[in-house]
Amino acid sequence: MAFLPDESRALPPPPLLNKGSVWLGFVGWMSALMDNAFNRRPILRAGIHRQILLASLGYFVGYQLVKRAEYMHAKVDRELFEYIRHHPLDFQSPTEKKRIGQLLEDFYPIR
Amino acid sequence: MAAGLRAVQRWGLAAATPSLAFTRSAFVVGKQNNAQPNWLGVGLAFGTSAALWALLVKQHNEDVMEYERRKQVRGHKCTGCS
Repeated sequence: MAFLPDESRALPPPPLLNKGSVWLGFVGWMSALMDNAFNRRPILRAGIHRQILLASLGYFVGYQLVKRAEYMHAKVDRELFEYIRHHPLDFQSPTEKKRIGQLLEDFYPIR
Repeated sequence: MAAGLRAVQRWGLAAATPSLAFTRSAFVVGKQNNAQPNWLGVGLAFGTSAALWALLVKQHNEDVMEYERRKQVRGHKCTGCS
């Protein structure tokens, strides 16, 4: 199965600033910092090009993963609503909504 | 960690130099020269980052345009979307 089928393009795309991208960009940046640490370099000041590259890579991969996750969720929702539509008898609410006053017992204050 | 390594060395299963099986240090690397920048690597890294961002923005804009186009074609048949 394709990573992003064609029908996923009918969904609204995630915003450029989204949680998955930010998190994976942060993970990429952290892995660059860890590479600096393991190779005994100054952690923040060394290898800026590496930090930027890994953060950008994480950001890009995060965007694609968020798109796929939204597609999977939308697909499940669609199947769920189709099932509800095909089985109306199973999803009827009782004749009318009960008010909360009818459910509770009467209140007799003890003074 | 150091005491365990010393014990293993005493048993003759690990040499003092980390060249045999029981290397447990994360700091074993080859000789690196961090004083002279690898300009080719730096250029490639920055170029790849710029290309990735351009690709991301282009992809996002294409996705938005495709979504709007399909919404027009569908003519708001579904009632769940805004």
